Amino acid sequence: MDFELPGEDHPKRQAVRAWFEANPEPSGRDLAEAGYIVPHWPKPWGLAAEPELQLIIDEEMKRAGVVPPHNPVAVNNCAQSLLTHGTEAQRKRFLPPALSGEELWCMLFSEPSGGSDLGALRTVARRDGDHYVVKGHKIWTSLAHKAKVGVLVARTEPDLPKHQGLSEFLIDMDSPGLTVRPIIDMSGDENEYNEVFLDEVRVPADRLLGKEGEGWALSMTQLQTERVALSKPGAIWGHGPSARELVEGLAEIGALSDGALRDEAGDIYIEGEILRLLALRALSDRMNARTPGPEGAIRKMLAAPHGQRVVDLAKRAQGARGLIAGEQPFPSQLGGKGTFEDWDYAFWFSPAVTLGVGTQEILKNVVAERVLGLPREADPTARVPWSQSRKAG
Amino acid sequence: MDFALSEDNLVLQQSARTFLEKEISLGRVLVPGATVADADYDRNWTKIVAMGWPGLVVDEAFGGLGLSCIDLAMILGEMGRALAPSPFLGTLFGAWAIQKGGSQDQKERLLPQVAAGTVKLALAVAESNGATDGPGREAVARKQSGAGYLITGVKSFVIDAAAADWLIVAAMEEGSARRAFFLVDAKQAAVQADPLQWRDVTRQVCDVRFRDAVAEPLPADDAVLWPWLRDRILFGLAAENAAGAQRVLEMTVDYAKERTAFGRPIGGYQAIKHALADMLGLAECSTTAVLYAAWALSQEDKRAGLAAAMAKAYSSDAYVSATHRSVQIFGAIGFTWEMKNHLYFKRARANAELFGNARAHRSRVIDMVEKKAA
Repeated sequence: MDFELPGEDHPKRQAVRAWFEANPEPSGRDLAEAGYIVPHWPKPWGLAAEPELQLIIDEEMKRAGVVPPHNPVAVNNCAQSLLTHGTEAQRKRFLPPALSGEELWCMLFSEPSGGSDLGALRTVARRDGDHYVVKGHKIWTSLAHKAKVGVLVARTEPDLPKHQGLSEFLIDMDSPGLTVRPIIDMSGDENEYNEVFLDEVRVPADRLLGKEGEGWALSMTQLQTERVALSKPGAIWGHGPSARELVEGLAEIGALSDGALRDEAGDIYIEGEILRLLALRALSDRMNARTPGPEGAIRKMLAAPHGQRVVDLAKRAQGARGLIAGEQPFPSQLGGKGTFEDWDYAFWFSPAVTLGVGTQEILKNVVAERVLGLPREADPTARVPWSQSRKAG
Repeated sequence: MDFALSEDNLVLQQSARTFLEKEISLGRVLVPGATVADADYDRNWTKIVAMGWPGLVVDEAFGGLGLSCIDLAMILGEMGRALAPSPFLGTLFGAWAIQKGGSQDQKERLLPQVAAGTVKLALAVAESNGATDGPGREAVARKQSGAGYLITGVKSFVIDAAAADWLIVAAMEEGSARRAFFLVDAKQAAVQADPLQWRDVTRQVCDVRFRDAVAEPLPADDAVLWPWLRDRILFGLAAENAAGAQRVLEMTVDYAKERTAFGRPIGGYQAIKHALADMLGLAECSTTAVLYAAWALSQEDKRAGLAAAMAKAYSSDAYVSATHRSVQIFGAIGFTWEMKNHLYFKRARANAELFGNARAHRSRVIDMVEKKAA
């Protein structure tokens, strides 16, 4: 066991640094072609990088001041499925613009009837010649208003039990019949989320990802393959301020002399460090080809409430001034207004982190059932054909 | 860079677990009213000596095994998991003190006997208010002609003192405000160790009184020896905490799968599931903090002090919380003396208070972060 991170003189680090020196303002395409967007993927998309190299690339990119294109749904969740379940034509068509950030992706998963019970979704894709025709209503879709590609889960076999009749598609967000409506969330800022209406949207059959009926398995994998930021566990799903920056900020304004606040800051700092180390341990398990330990699922369960504590303590340190829109807790800023690096925005957005990508309650159920082996929640609708459970409901 | 335990680490852990499960019984402490005197304390020690564990941290040059803190974490964890009553921890703390702070002559005289299991040690640092830093005014060492000293006063909360043959005592040198460490023969008439009515009945904790007790100084300076020793002690307690929390989680999960109410196992109810998921988080995070501290200490890394403080602070609160939840989930049966839940509950409370509580260490963590030692 060795927690030493690769040093300044590590040969791999020097190679990466040399690349960033030779390419001082790389485009998304440059980064993608160098394999730096998904270094952990196999070539030609990535570098088949082991965790050490991934960490070096993260750090060197940050050091060079390079911000990679923001395409989280493709890069963190969904695009990897194309490596295993996609066709060669799909890989060629979708991966290059996804990794370069030229085509943003969104996930058309949750529906108004329920987000946690994803398997109960009602959007239907009916086969019609060499097309599928999609009718339904999606909600809580991040980035739908900017996305070019939507990863859609829809029901192709209504007469199978609810988890079995689902399929996944890669659809064009500018398809006729598809309408996007923004949802203004409690932060009041520019919208993060949207509703998406699908009214007889025609999707070419070659946009089916994997086979019919594989939608549930694919979407579960995609929700779980969130790539972990290795160097710092930011408060908002890995982005934004970390506990270390919280303590630095509190020190900057002299708030740590307050005993109660100091104690809480110490607690949050320690939790943040442990979350960082947990991510590293989970990686090592993968690297050693061990059955993944419980670290990944546990980290996810702990990271969201931790992030809320980080931004909450910063907000409380402001007192009443923290209620003035846009007012920042610390003189030194981490990032621009309306980004997760903005302390004020991060706080008002933070209730979302225990809701999105699985509510905290569902994550705890998952940990209790899959890691601890406790009895599963009874779901009376799981075994009957979906079409019947609908009538009964 | 590999953040996972090695196969060797895991083998050591498993062999320690197998040994302790087979050899250590808590049966006699589970009789209501039991104290540490009923805990097979000496008999367990004989078995532990046969395993060679007294010499774990003693250098090979003195007949020990010279194990790193990572290996040691495996064994300390298993001892904490088993709550094995024995003078193991006191002897370990004492061996560390001599190993780091003793003269060559002191090491040669004592460490081979420690490694062989014929000499037991205890480390007397705390004051009657539990404080372990500062000059240590409650025990004063008076210099005699020659190199000798006489110690008079009291040390408190000394783990395994009544069993010890030799004590390592932190005392204030008369006429200075400085603390130093001394080697004291525990069997002399001027030393009296009295076991406290300690709630954690799987551990012997004593007050020790000295009346002109003959003492010889350890040459190491307090400012060098104590931080080194403190970080290891914090790590040692944290290793017990993390493994204890993990054990309590396992016991409680097993119970939640077996115990039924309203026609189904109570582990099927979300209120119980979520409490157990939280406990898993606490245990896993504690383990992570302990492994990081073990690694940093084994490397004498500059972050070792921070890592040890983080591990002690986090694991103390985590263990306290996990053991309380365990009693809650077992229900009323978990509140009885004949169940093990209270033994873990008490160990957690005791470890949380010894050598500085979580709040004190969190404050130290902030100190270190502010000084950019992180």
